[in-house]
Amino acid sequence: MSIIKAEGIYKTYNETHVPVNALNGVDLQIEQGEFTAIVGPSGSGKTTLLNIIGGLDLPSKGNIFIEQTNLKDLSSKQLIDFRLHHIGFVFQAYNLIPVLTAKENTEFIMVLQKRPKKEREEKVKELLEAVGIGDKANHRPGQLSGGQQQRVAVARALASQPKYIIADEPTANLDSKSTHELLDLMADMNKKYQTTFIFATHDQRVMDKARRIVTLDDGKITSDETFDR
Amino acid sequence: MLAAIAWRNVWRNRRRTLIAAASVFTAMVLSLFMLSMKQGSLYQMIAAGVNQVGNLQIHDTGYWENKSLDRAFFEHGQFNPVFKSIPEITRVVPHLQTFSLASYGKQTKGIVISGIDPRLEDQQSGLSRKIIDGHYLSGRDEVLIGELMATYLKMNVGDSIVLLGQGYRGITAYGIYKVAGIFNLPSREMNSNLLYMGLKDAQDFVYPYEKGLLTGYSIYLKDGTQEMPIKKQLEKQLGKKYEIISWRTILSDMLQTISVGKISNQVFVLILYLIAAFGIFSTVLMMTIEKRKEYAIMIALGMQRGRLVWVSVVETIIVSIVGVLAALTVMVPLLTYMHFHPVQVSGEMAKIYVLYNLEPIMPFLASPELFLSQAAIILGLSFFSAVYPILYILKFNVLNAYRH
Repeated sequence: MSIIKAEGIYKTYNETHVPVNALNGVDLQIEQGEFTAIVGPSGSGKTTLLNIIGGLDLPSKGNIFIEQTNLKDLSSKQLIDFRLHHIGFVFQAYNLIPVLTAKENTEFIMVLQKRPKKEREEKVKELLEAVGIGDKANHRPGQLSGGQQQRVAVARALASQPKYIIADEPTANLDSKSTHELLDLMADMNKKYQTTFIFATHDQRVMDKARRIVTLDDGKITSDETFDR
Repeated sequence: MLAAIAWRNVWRNRRRTLIAAASVFTAMVLSLFMLSMKQGSLYQMIAAGVNQVGNLQIHDTGYWENKSLDRAFFEHGQFNPVFKSIPEITRVVPHLQTFSLASYGKQTKGIVISGIDPRLEDQQSGLSRKIIDGHYLSGRDEVLIGELMATYLKMNVGDSIVLLGQGYRGITAYGIYKVAGIFNLPSREMNSNLLYMGLKDAQDFVYPYEKGLLTGYSIYLKDGTQEMPIKKQLEKQLGKKYEIISWRTILSDMLQTISVGKISNQVFVLILYLIAAFGIFSTVLMMTIEKRKEYAIMIALGMQRGRLVWVSVVETIIVSIVGVLAALTVMVPLLTYMHFHPVQVSGEMAKIYVLYNLEPIMPFLASPELFLSQAAIILGLSFFSAVYPILYILKFNVLNAYRH
């Protein structure tokens, strides 16, 4: 069953005098449990597509369904609430809240979801152990390496028990060792929690791990391949 | 957790927060010092004014509007039971006031005659201390005149002054009195136009046929805050024949002058607080601009803008509260000390104070209302300073903020 269904997605930016067509009719379906990479050259529309799938932006034309919900039908507040309960995010620059510890950053989403304290504490412990930084739970982001911060970001994304996780260039700021560790971690989480991962990436190492690679060029899908890995 | 985020955000840039708090601290310290000193002086002035005229005055109804001797009344002991029934009344000073011509040699002028009980008047207003030549009233057929009146009439102590005017019920009032003393009061008008004589002499002057004529009583209270209930009680007990006038009506000119002074104080305080507000605002502005990306991430993750507004407002309030608490920590003990140990005024300035019937001290007010009102103003300004981040958070484009 498709959890994400993009139908005829167009996105035009009118921020300058010349309109820029970032997406030109994208149709895409993503199933539960996929580990998908969206690839393509700079300016091909990867991040725009990811933003639309992630409910951060809306298409100029076309529809985006998350299961039965058309994101275009949601108000701004409903969209924020939808992201809180259904979508996880891993950003290129980690983007942890600098004044919170690793534990608090992971717990943050669950606080917003108003989940009980006991449940939050158990979940945080489980996730931080799972991403391998249980011993650094009380460290703030500034006291962690890039790889460790990104692990916390993955834990934070998983904490909301989302239907899928959007990861925009998650390895761009990591060294080779951290990249491999992070990809292994996300692949494990994908298997363990059956969480769908969708990456936008240039990184060949991410593509080598992905079981499906969607290639974009000039705002259109030019190839869509699946791999048995 | 949101409160923790706000608290920790404030201390992310400790130096900047302390600078903003310092601007609040400075503005509040200066304004508290100034307001405490000014309000202390105003209360001193009001207390001196009330000391002069009483908390309340009783007249025949209509006298306050038309100060004619025809509105005088006779006192035949009917007031004493009323006064005795109200324990809050500490002193009652009777008076009889009228207008007359005063003449000496070839000089004549229109004057105000104030008939007083010399002992009570001196206890209340210290009139004997204002005598600059001669002595205070000590017997019958004596008067005190102002310094400027003495100059105009070319009179000295021991001279006889002729008074001629209209008495009660249309009779002609006349008499010759010896000038026992010359006084100097702060008011030029009083020095020029006022003549004091003993109450009995004044009563004989305006109406010798019946004892006890008065134009009013000054009522002094133990506790000035009880003025309104006692006014009502007196009105109820004395009926409509008499009017009860508050010192606020009698000293309305002084209160008006005070309120003009208060406005100029408020303008000064406003300027101080605007400086503090800009201190807070600039800090809040920098914090908002710095955290644009963080705000965007939080909203992307699923935090409603309203909750983010709450965090931002709490941050602003924390910055202000740090400044307010620091200022209160310094100023509450300092002003309380100065309230109980006022600065003593000496030299020529002290003489002026005494002349105006004021104690030669510089009093400071240290009331909870003063401290709380200033703290409330600062916190109000904090909310005002938080308007920019609130509007920003409610309107900003998440993707643009994230990209930049």
